[in-house]
Amino acid sequence: MAEDVYLDYQSAKPVDPRVIEAMLPFLTERFGNPAALHAVGDKAMEALENARRQVAAFLGADPAEIVFTSGATEANNLAILGYASRNRRTGDHVVISEVEHISIHNIAKYLEKDGFTVSKVPPDQYGRIDPAKLRARVRDETLLVSVGWASNEIGTVQPVPEIAEMLRGTGVVLHVDAVAAEGLVPIDVDATPVDLLALSSNDIYGPPGVGALYIRDGVKLAPIAMGGGQERGLRSGTENLPGIVGMGAAAEIASAEMADEAARLASMRDRLIEAVLGTIPDSHLNGHPVTRLPNNAHFRFEGVEGESLLLLMKDAGISVSTGSACSSKTLEPSHTLISCGLLHEEAHGSLEFTFGRFSKPADVDRVMEVLPEVVARLRHMSPLYPSE
Amino acid sequence: MKSTQYSEKTLDHFRNPRNVGTLTGDDVAIGRVGNPVCGDLMEMYIRVQGDRIAEITFQTFGCGSAVATSSMTTELVRGMTLDEALEVTRKDVADALDGLPPIKMHCSNLAADALHDAIRNWRGHKRLEPLSAEEVASSGAGCGARDVNLVEGLAEYAGKGAFTTAPDPATLADRRVLVVDKGEPSARLALELAKVTPRVVFVTELDTLALGEELSQDVKRSDVKVLFQSRLLSLGGEGEVEKARIHDLDEDDEYDLFVDAVVVLGG
Repeated sequence: MAEDVYLDYQSAKPVDPRVIEAMLPFLTERFGNPAALHAVGDKAMEALENARRQVAAFLGADPAEIVFTSGATEANNLAILGYASRNRRTGDHVVISEVEHISIHNIAKYLEKDGFTVSKVPPDQYGRIDPAKLRARVRDETLLVSVGWASNEIGTVQPVPEIAEMLRGTGVVLHVDAVAAEGLVPIDVDATPVDLLALSSNDIYGPPGVGALYIRDGVKLAPIAMGGGQERGLRSGTENLPGIVGMGAAAEIASAEMADEAARLASMRDRLIEAVLGTIPDSHLNGHPVTRLPNNAHFRFEGVEGESLLLLMKDAGISVSTGSACSSKTLEPSHTLISCGLLHEEAHGSLEFTFGRFSKPADVDRVMEVLPEVVARLRHMSPLYPSE
Repeated sequence: MKSTQYSEKTLDHFRNPRNVGTLTGDDVAIGRVGNPVCGDLMEMYIRVQGDRIAEITFQTFGCGSAVATSSMTTELVRGMTLDEALEVTRKDVADALDGLPPIKMHCSNLAADALHDAIRNWRGHKRLEPLSAEEVASSGAGCGARDVNLVEGLAEYAGKGAFTTAPDPATLADRRVLVVDKGEPSARLALELAKVTPRVVFVTELDTLALGEELSQDVKRSDVKVLFQSRLLSLGGEGEVEKARIHDLDEDDEYDLFVDAVVVLGG
């Protein structure tokens, strides 16, 4: 019996054992509330600030620019809603890209109901945003631009440095959802002048339920949840200390190991891409052929539907993801694939592989033992795929 | 409930579908429902002897429940009289599979409909086959005579991604280009463009390529994506072409296709 293979790291990652080790004391003897005035509280505060330094160092930021949240979704909400509501007297327009994560699209939808207008920038066929196309949408009333560092689906990395450079001096704030890219490509807010940047702990093998928002010194936000005034009043609620300590440890590991890990992931990814495109007829790579995350391989197969593919892969013990509508709650195909110019029936046939820290070269071999046969089997019963 | 939370029976029919295939002969009728745009397309083939379904097979493009309901339907109705088979409902099929996730009840439980379509086609002596190009053209739905100015935005986006004469392919390297079927010159242009960009969409109102044998084969063998039975309605975008509004003539449905350039020769 073949070993199970997990290649869906973009949707969830295991916590690194070294991170668990760092967290454990904070669930038992070092349980304090950082706000408490006694010695136990002091120790907790020390651990909290140490984690803040670790996350800041991961981004090249100042520790005072980091606010911990319950995850990237909250960080994105705090960034966009917090900035828009604090600054609505100076503008009522927001620009996002079409290839953003659904959490950004839904924040934009909420802003529209609240009286803001939102413009969306379409990508090219590889999912890449052209900075000039984005610039054409920025106007006097524009408050904020939101672009993901990379697509969580197709893995295309955005030209964030160029976009940041283009917006410099315009007074328009740049928010970046960095969840898909963190730990895989270098992110340095000193070299790349973004104003707001959201991170998730689990995406760098930290515990789930923790995230952080980088807020450039001088950028003013309004809080979106009221309470005890923790995190400089921007994120009330007693800090999730074990989780935050875990995120700090995860950030430190990511800083140290990213370069080697990215190279290792890229070699497995490249081998998979070559094998799939070379072995399976009428298969295509979605996303950018070069400027893509080192762990992402995203394919589409003509004439077959992604949920069926996913189920047969599941039967073989292989966990992957699909952009097919048939697997989504709304029965709509992936907005990312559609905005790359794919037709609905093409988007339905896609399958996403994301490698991670515990992936091994044998995983690629296992996929190639199963996938060609699974695609052929579904094509055999498909009226959309002509049999020879 | 997850959309993929299927019963054991559904999974069994998905993994080991019964009666996959096509049938031919004078005693065969075909039923077809669904739309690949929605992710489901089903065909049922029935062989009728006397008044009974002697043999039944299916072809399905779709998700797990689309496959399983097709398979179960063939099992349920084989040997039934046509009247009995007409009584089989979507719910009967779902029940026979020990239920389907609620979200799947309508979208991918179309097998009974495809079966009923086949029976109606049998009784109406309707042979379901792709229409020929001549039939479409003579029915008035064809292209050629239509006024190209009906494409809204062609003038507005002139020089900004909209072309009415053949553009230099080099200027469209790596762009998504939509070429409207204007006969052979447009098809040749599409083939030229496919050499410089991986994404060329050829939009034709016909349901087949009416380009002459050789050119049609060239297009089929190329990476040009052909959109059959579709009409370009309008162009959209911020200062340049970014989207094309397409009318799916078969489904009478409209949608946006993200593109960078559109060519309507003679427009």
